[in-house]
Amino acid sequence: MTSKRWRLFAVVLVVFAMVAAACSSDDAADDTTTTTAGEAPAEVLKVAFVYIGPVSDKGWSWSHDQGAKALKAALGDAVEITTLENIPEGADSERVFNDLAEEGNKLIFGTSFGYMDPMLAAAESHPDTVFMHATGYKQSDNMGNYFGAAEEGRYLSGMAAGAATVTNKIGYVAAFPIPEVLRGINAFTLGVREVNPDAEVQVVWTSTWFDPPKEKTAAESLLDAGADVIAMHQDSAAPGQAAEAAGAKWVGYNTDMTEFAPTAWLTAAIWDWGPFYIKTAQQVIDGTWVTEAYYGNMADGMVALAPFGESVDGATRTLIGEREAEIIDGTFSVLPDPIVDQDGAERPLGNIFEMDYFVEGVVGSPTG
Amino acid sequence: MTRHVVVEPRGLASVKLRILVPVLSVLAALVVGGLFLAITGENPLDVYRKMADVAFGSANGVSNTLISATPLILTGVAAALAFKMLVWNIGGEGQLIMGAVFASGIAIWLGPAAPSWIAIPAVIVAGGVGGAVWASVAAIPRVYLKTNEIITTLMLNFIALSFMNFLVFGSSSPWRDSAVSTFPTGQPIPTNARLPTFFQRLDISIFIAFGLAIAAWWLVGKTRWGFAVQVVGDSPETAKYAGISVPNKILVVFLLSGAAAGFAGALYVAGPIGALEPRSLDLGLGFTGIIVAALAGLHLLAVIPIAILMGALNNSGPALQSIGVPTSTITMLQGAILIFAVGGEFFIRHRIRLPRKESTPQEIPDGVEVA
Repeated sequence: MTSKRWRLFAVVLVVFAMVAAACSSDDAADDTTTTTAGEAPAEVLKVAFVYIGPVSDKGWSWSHDQGAKALKAALGDAVEITTLENIPEGADSERVFNDLAEEGNKLIFGTSFGYMDPMLAAAESHPDTVFMHATGYKQSDNMGNYFGAAEEGRYLSGMAAGAATVTNKIGYVAAFPIPEVLRGINAFTLGVREVNPDAEVQVVWTSTWFDPPKEKTAAESLLDAGADVIAMHQDSAAPGQAAEAAGAKWVGYNTDMTEFAPTAWLTAAIWDWGPFYIKTAQQVIDGTWVTEAYYGNMADGMVALAPFGESVDGATRTLIGEREAEIIDGTFSVLPDPIVDQDGAERPLGNIFEMDYFVEGVVGSPTG
Repeated sequence: MTRHVVVEPRGLASVKLRILVPVLSVLAALVVGGLFLAITGENPLDVYRKMADVAFGSANGVSNTLISATPLILTGVAAALAFKMLVWNIGGEGQLIMGAVFASGIAIWLGPAAPSWIAIPAVIVAGGVGGAVWASVAAIPRVYLKTNEIITTLMLNFIALSFMNFLVFGSSSPWRDSAVSTFPTGQPIPTNARLPTFFQRLDISIFIAFGLAIAAWWLVGKTRWGFAVQVVGDSPETAKYAGISVPNKILVVFLLSGAAAGFAGALYVAGPIGALEPRSLDLGLGFTGIIVAALAGLHLLAVIPIAILMGALNNSGPALQSIGVPTSTITMLQGAILIFAVGGEFFIRHRIRLPRKESTPQEIPDGVEVA
């Protein structure tokens, strides 16, 4: 009996091995044919994008994919683009980055925070490949970072929310208790209270970046608690659909999501990654790329404000437009220094990339 | 004349059949999947070649496949061990997480000064203890109060996940990296507690997983205790009549099942991750272990190749995207392979006959007749 069981095990392994051997030899042949066939005069830069969610999320990942499309449109045959979606964060993603580098991609964008350490490890083992990590802070000779001041757009969208609320309760469906998210909540709240000093922002954490059912449930719990405007950080439109169903208003994020909740829609801080992707790819092609931590903003166009929903009145639009102009010309800072914290105490603003507190007007815990 | 198809249970299937059926099932899945791929405009051969190439075609691929398979071997053992005994432990996910919590906790507590020959065994044992302790929360009420372990183990998964999130995201616990203020991450465990790598990124946890799976198989299949366990699994009434302590056996199997999942967590933390890192652990490895166990027909050694196959399937996803196959197609293909493999199980357990003459169902008392 024992030997029979071992035989079963052995046979399965042998089958695997045979399939593997057959296929790998085939592929080796393929590789040679593609190198001879691909006799382009100028060298084509292979660029890869790794997304945490599906491109169809119409949110964060979609916004980056729009950037990838803009890159293709701008540089055409000079670039060959691979996009991978639904790649989970964490240690397992190192495999994906290694594979992309080994497939000849010379510029790899990873667009979620949790790719940071895996990308750093992959960057170390592939020194000829440029790795660009969105939202993180770790760097090496061939790994840089980029992100943008979404808080500028958040502040403006907060003004729209503050003007829209009747109950003076605004619900905020928050992702993870990290500086980026806290910055967004704080700037949003300051915007709310500029136009409506009595309004409060109630925060609920989901510990997700893209989990529509969970984010919808979180929004519903805030609506049940009396909120009549919902703001959010995640990549899905689910909180907006919950707001639409409840007859409440909604401030989105990442992209113009009017189509998901046309009545609820107010506005949102949105991204335009295209110019940055084009610039970075051109630097790699020209050999001028150097490690940097790029922080875009409304002035350079990486961050923008989405079109207003119908319910945003003319006076509010004008007010927001004036603030937007001040932000762009640098005369208004959305996060003042000093700043008033959740307990009403004045404190120095500190390093905004390490922000770990809430401002006055936020209800909830900044530690999750 | 009506034609009858008789479906009847078969006794012990031959070894030949038990190999042939899964192989044919996977082939059938590939054919059906291939048709689907062809309809959606992909070349099935290219897709399959790419899948196999990614999983087994290079040293790096083999290493990655085995890394992905390692935790699945152990969560597969955890599920198979329990299910054999009719203990429906679907809490492998939570037990894996608690194993990881205990394992990283002991590594951090021992600190960088402890030599590896103490730290590594301590981490692995702690993982097993963590998994068993978490299983005991469901196992003790199951044995002594007859609570439904499907519900308790399922719920405990979410509690374990929230607990891990609390340790890293929601508190200043020793599990959280105090040096990084920008984003809460797990405290890296000291390098002396990390498992050494020997082949690309592959570390020795694969051998430990093999060893533990073989040990579980030996324990159940080759020992007196294991025989008693099998009797309980086949018929608790018979076991009771034979003087076997049924509650005791169920409790021990339940705890061992939890320990196996806990080992998976420990090996993952001390191996590829190196910290209690929620984003790296929340991958549904415990749930996938249940699929592995089911595909392996609850055979504790068959779990190993099945886990390797699942690891390969998992890793092929991103690579297929890079040749332009949409994610939804990949998910469909992976699902088809699983469904066919599970469906094949039916033919191992049942025989289908097409009798030429009027069949007399009375002759086959267990037969189910399908017109």
